Amino acid sequence: MIAPDQAACVEPRRIETPVGTFEIDPQSVIHFHEGLPGFESTRAFVLLSSPAIAPLHLLHHVSGPAASFLAIDPRLVLPGYRAVLSAADERRLGAGDRTALVWLALVTLDPEQGPTVNLRAPIVINPDRMIGFQTMPHNSLYPLRHPLALR
Amino acid sequence: MLVFTRKRHEAIMIGDGVEIRVLRVGRDGVRLGVTAPPQVAVHRREIYEQIREENRIAARAVGSADAIAAELRGRLSTAASDAPASDPGDDAH
Repeated sequence: MIAPDQAACVEPRRIETPVGTFEIDPQSVIHFHEGLPGFESTRAFVLLSSPAIAPLHLLHHVSGPAASFLAIDPRLVLPGYRAVLSAADERRLGAGDRTALVWLALVTLDPEQGPTVNLRAPIVINPDRMIGFQTMPHNSLYPLRHPLALR
Repeated sequence: MLVFTRKRHEAIMIGDGVEIRVLRVGRDGVRLGVTAPPQVAVHRREIYEQIREENRIAARAVGSADAIAAELRGRLSTAASDAPASDPGDDAH
């Protein structure tokens, strides 16, 4: 599915990112209809991988104001991590295989604490519809800053 | 700012899709019920602001991507078959 603001862009194109140059095609664009908190006007991202940053990924803007994040599968950091979708989240995600959902925790680098991941408000992506958003569960027990280490 | 007086069970409408209803009025707080279309996210403001601030800090971590990833892989001792474990210092150019 291609949103109207992406319809003009149907050819693969190159984008420059802080971790290298990538060729992206329009099918790989993920639509964040409300952006992310703090980056509300950035509505289209791609999820990029490269050996240099594995097992991290780069969630990088492809339109709107610049916004670029390091992200990791929260289950690599905390086995048994269980993110919760509210009824409203379910509706926002739309139809699609729930076992195929992609979950990502954003990485923060604190000068004193070192790298941490935000397990409180993970990002969820529905690959069937290429829609994503940051979940903000009201009663999450997971921390905003969990030490980044693989388990 | 628009200011309304509402009694219990009374509501206000925002646009044609968002309704905010007073469910209960207590000494320390007011319990509100919000009905909104699925594309409208509803959050407690203080939680939204906390996440927003964390996202802004997270956006600055990208410049350290290689170092963070190398340190992560370096700490991996059991998954050597997945990716060669390396000392973070090895990746310095």
